[in-house]
Amino acid sequence: MADSIQLNHVKEWSVLRGFTNLLHKESRAWWGTRRWWINAILWPILLCGLMANMLFVPAIANLASEAEISQAGSLTAYVIQMGLSVFFEFGMIALGIGAIILLQDSIIGEKQSGTAEWLLSKPVVPRAYVLAKFVGNTLAVLSLLLGGPIIIAYSMLSIRLGELFPARPFLLAAGIMTVHTLFYLALTLMLGTIFSTRGPVLGIGLASILGGNLLGGLFKPLFYVTPWILPKTASLSASGLSLPPEMGIIPLTTTFIWIPIFILLAIIKFENIEL
Amino acid sequence: MSFNDTLVIETKGLEKSFGNVKVLQGVDLSVKQNSIFGFLGPNGAGKTTTMKILLGLIRPTGGSGSIFGRDIVQESVAIRERIGYLPQQPRFIEYMSARENLEFTAAFFYTGPKSKIRMRCDEMLELVGLTDKAERPIRTFSGGEKQRLGIALAQVNYPDLLILDEPASALDPLGRQEVLEIMQRLRKHTSIFYSTHILDDVQRVSDSVAILNHGKVVASGPIELILNGQGSIIYCMTIKGEPEGLGEKLANLSWVTQTSVSQHNGSSLWQISVNDEVEAETNLLRYVLADEMITVTEFNRKKYELEEVFMEVIKGDGNGR
Repeated sequence: MADSIQLNHVKEWSVLRGFTNLLHKESRAWWGTRRWWINAILWPILLCGLMANMLFVPAIANLASEAEISQAGSLTAYVIQMGLSVFFEFGMIALGIGAIILLQDSIIGEKQSGTAEWLLSKPVVPRAYVLAKFVGNTLAVLSLLLGGPIIIAYSMLSIRLGELFPARPFLLAAGIMTVHTLFYLALTLMLGTIFSTRGPVLGIGLASILGGNLLGGLFKPLFYVTPWILPKTASLSASGLSLPPEMGIIPLTTTFIWIPIFILLAIIKFENIEL
Repeated sequence: MSFNDTLVIETKGLEKSFGNVKVLQGVDLSVKQNSIFGFLGPNGAGKTTTMKILLGLIRPTGGSGSIFGRDIVQESVAIRERIGYLPQQPRFIEYMSARENLEFTAAFFYTGPKSKIRMRCDEMLELVGLTDKAERPIRTFSGGEKQRLGIALAQVNYPDLLILDEPASALDPLGRQEVLEIMQRLRKHTSIFYSTHILDDVQRVSDSVAILNHGKVVASGPIELILNGQGSIIYCMTIKGEPEGLGEKLANLSWVTQTSVSQHNGSSLWQISVNDEVEAETNLLRYVLADEMITVTEFNRKKYELEEVFMEVIKGDGNGR
């Protein structure tokens, strides 16, 4: 048997041995699967459907008071403001929850079933396992959960406005939305390496996303070091407003910094884990 | 068996504790190249822990070990390039078919060409008799089929060492037979280190064994030696005729420690325990045959069943408690 079929051996950077194949596996768990279709359909309907209500259903626009309309400048400006608010503020929280739910089982499930043990019995370094999880799921989540809805939302805003919606503020807000979602992806992944049951992973993640505003309201500096204010930041940025640093650049930067920290902690934890 | 003296696995004083619980207490193992090494022990003896340490999945708290001469802690990834592993309960990527699982596993080792990887996978499917089920979803596989597919996954990189954790214990007799036959087929290509508590299987296919009890190796060596018994050397003799005073005569020999006799179909069956194997092999039969009134119809050294040896060493170890 030996050497009856000659094959080319994998030549991979030893620091990330196994990454390519594991990334392929993570991607295959999404693309073309039922999970892919469900998410590809659900998220645009959920996020853009609500926004479309705000933008195009006259009955909802008619609920606005004269004062609100005059404060916005016009009825169109008002409904666009409402649409942005729904898309970014509600949407970011929904996406965060979605990311937590979709990823909560990713590592824990494989630890419990023994799949992680089997994978790591191959020439694979633990950091490759963690990074493949992050990269594979990030690509899927960003393209499915964010990509589609963002394009549709921009199109709807432009249709409602009767011209192209200003791209720069919208892209800035979409970027904030992306960072916010990545934060919860990385947090969930890290929690998956720390805990061996799903409860704490879901609990901590959901408590952060749902209870964060409350905590931040009680102790304002928390807003500077967490993503909790970012939904509001994104919504206001998309409207073209310039924001004070404590509402914009500071929480955005700290949230962005948390992402590699979580990934690093996940790698350290996983490299020391005994399967 | 044609296996050489090169060691593929060598551990010295391997220890592992989980908190205050000592799971392994100084495990020494020597597994020779191209051998089938049975790693025996009751449940909870530490077999799986030892295997996981060898694979680098957990770290030892003491002692050292090497596979292919490489350190199991420092050079784990390089070692795993040359190993195939079958966990106690084989794992698969559930959304892939059997062939896709094989191709996925092969991709940890090979980049291509794709046609050749496919050929390798076909070869593995044929090896374990699953060619006709290659495209079936894993969830439709029986326990035996999963086990065979697990072996195919472990073998896909033509490993120099196969580590199989209880490869046949969850299977019915037919499934066990199939797995043992596959192991026999693979023995000329690789060394096999496998754990089990099914002693019949070990006796059938193993070259060497180690018996682990509560984290300690209580017996190890080539299967032939193990089956000769632990400590006591006993020769069995079937005698026809009237051996007058044979028991007393034997008892007077300095190297005979004990004799026992039983009657069976007009013959007497003698079991003679000795403490000097060479002396017994040279002189025992001659000494008995000096009596011209008797005929010896059978003479051999007592072979134990592995189960007897296993029970003896486990009990001798105070059941490990």
